[in-house]
Amino acid sequence: MKKKKIVALLTALAVTIGLFAGCGAEKETEDASGTASNTSGESQPEESEPEVSEAEEASAGEAVTIWYYWETEGHQVALDQVIQDYNASQDKYEVTAKYVPFADFKKQLSIGASADELPDIAILDSPDHASYVDMGIFEDLTGKFDVGSYYEGAVNSCTVDGKLYGVPFGVNCLALYYNEDMLNDAGCKVPTTWDELKETAKALTTESVTGLALCSVQNEEGTFNFVPWLWSTGASSYDINNENGIRALAFIQDLVNEGVMSKECINWTQGDVMNQFIAGNVAMMENGPWQIPTMQAEAPELNWKVTLIPKDSEYSSVLGGENYAVINGGNVEGALDFLTYSTSEEQVKFMMDKFGYISANQSIAETQFEADSPYQPFVEELKYAMPRGPLAEWPSVSDAISLAFNQVITGTATPEDAAAEAQATIDSIVK
Amino acid sequence: MGKMKKLFRYENIGILFVFPAFLYMLIFVGYPIIRNIILSFQDVNAGNLVKGTKNFILFDNYMELFSDNVFRSSLSNTLRYTVLCLVFQFIIGFALALFFNRKFTLAKPIRGILLVPWMIPVTVTALMFKLLFATDIGVINYLLRSLHLIDTNVEWLTTPGTAMFALICANVWIGIPFNMILISTGLTTIPGELYESASIDGANKVQTFFRITLPLLKPTVESVLVLGFIYTFKVYDLVYVMTSGGPVNSTHMLSTYSYKLSFEMFKYSKGSAVANVLLLILLVVGMSYIKITTEGEEK
Repeated sequence: MKKKKIVALLTALAVTIGLFAGCGAEKETEDASGTASNTSGESQPEESEPEVSEAEEASAGEAVTIWYYWETEGHQVALDQVIQDYNASQDKYEVTAKYVPFADFKKQLSIGASADELPDIAILDSPDHASYVDMGIFEDLTGKFDVGSYYEGAVNSCTVDGKLYGVPFGVNCLALYYNEDMLNDAGCKVPTTWDELKETAKALTTESVTGLALCSVQNEEGTFNFVPWLWSTGASSYDINNENGIRALAFIQDLVNEGVMSKECINWTQGDVMNQFIAGNVAMMENGPWQIPTMQAEAPELNWKVTLIPKDSEYSSVLGGENYAVINGGNVEGALDFLTYSTSEEQVKFMMDKFGYISANQSIAETQFEADSPYQPFVEELKYAMPRGPLAEWPSVSDAISLAFNQVITGTATPEDAAAEAQATIDSIVK
Repeated sequence: MGKMKKLFRYENIGILFVFPAFLYMLIFVGYPIIRNIILSFQDVNAGNLVKGTKNFILFDNYMELFSDNVFRSSLSNTLRYTVLCLVFQFIIGFALALFFNRKFTLAKPIRGILLVPWMIPVTVTALMFKLLFATDIGVINYLLRSLHLIDTNVEWLTTPGTAMFALICANVWIGIPFNMILISTGLTTIPGELYESASIDGANKVQTFFRITLPLLKPTVESVLVLGFIYTFKVYDLVYVMTSGGPVNSTHMLSTYSYKLSFEMFKYSKGSAVANVLLLILLVVGMSYIKITTEGEEK
């Protein structure tokens, strides 16, 4: 009897322990394979067994990890190249990078922050920067980097209360792409004002082609595409319920009602919009410079050009791009050392070219492209580009703006009502 | 001491075997639920997630939710979506189960093939339906136009009412095989002799269905409906991929709205309050499921 009891107890214990052992082992292999795949390029052949690589990595230098969200293969390869060169240039630190999908990036950073499992460097979307500074996970970098020659808007996006909490990685903005053949066939000039844009879009719209497309999804990506129209009227992100804000909403609604912009845009990401453009379904689109490498590769025959977004009362565009941020409490020394390396002119030039990005450093950006390069109009447009926020509650403001534009596009509210509703939401956030 | 001895009696050995599972549930199910409930009573946002004090504001989050239009519409959306999906899935699934219960050639392989929708990852199904329902390039509009049922393309996913319809269609398509296979299994448990004697007594098809098939299937039907309710009510991926809660928040479900509040707008406490409402409703349904099934067993 007693024996049975003991056996039973042992079995139960073994099962329980097995449960934990199972978890632990799984986690370990996961970590190891993660490291292995990230360092695959740089690890020597004899390091190929996962257990060994971890040990060797420790002897190779202190670990510095980076999180980023670029899904484009070219971006990943370019970043990897810089990291490899850096690792080869010194023995003190060993940098590895991890891809986190954009849709999960904010979530992972939030979860990581509360679980204390953060990388040492994050490369994140600039409008979210202020929220994470507010969360208190970023290191104060004031005085550690010279950002004097950087675009003011980009520096502002990582500055909170006069302190610098990041370094701009690259900048971009939106501009208007147009299909030159379609424009010539219709006998149109390149539009520079809203009225001209509407006329041109009407002339270009046919049975199978819609005149204009812009990503109108109801999230940050949509807001990014809406604010240039809003700002062009003189309205600000926080002050919409006035003549200017309503005019911007009414203009977009008008484009949809006239059939020169498809309602489907509310389900199109910027990538989808680009695909419609290169497929010849759309004659003009609002989009960013990061699409250029893909467009050149997938539609080399397509004859397109880029121009400033047409204006209502003033030219306007929106500043986008990523910032580097250093996480406090991590390997700050190592992170700073890598950033000093990766923000040097040589590395910046290399990455910007591979990425199709414009350097956040104005002095580099101005000589980055040839005069006839398709990127050059974006450098011009950058003069008119303003950042979103920076504000810790920006995501909520952004939601109100994208909702208002979605309401007018789908016809569920008049521009007046949409503006009033958005204003009420914004007022409750920004006191 | 005496109590200790009692605990270790051989009859109690079952407790030891349940212990690992209990511990697992406690850590991986119990702990997150309790943390989530605590979170929903606090005021946690981007500013105080890591540092600073998390003030207890008790029911303020919940009060705020009930005056929030998007929350109210997502609650009613979730209920409407669940009920409509269940009705159609169940009726079509039941009809198919009855049909394939007749022994004709190829009945079994075809029934197997019909399980495919259930096996495809939901995100794939969602993308597929997103394309089917697309306004200008969608197959559904193309078919309707060819049949001269419509003149202009229907804007399925960009109009609030029809977007919900599209979601329900997609989910019914996924859910039919689930209903069919469970009801088919239930049908095989009904002894053939019953039908034989009924036919000898001169009962017609309708009578046998309502007097024999349906009453004997009652336990199966109950499980199918309750499980179906739970699976449908917590929908997330389908909605996220097809509409992301749009157009203009008209297809937000409790799950997608909770995610949006927590991870897009950094309102962690409000998001967890929405999740708790979802949990509460599912808890009630789950409890009644347990009650129904144990009652059935006791009889």
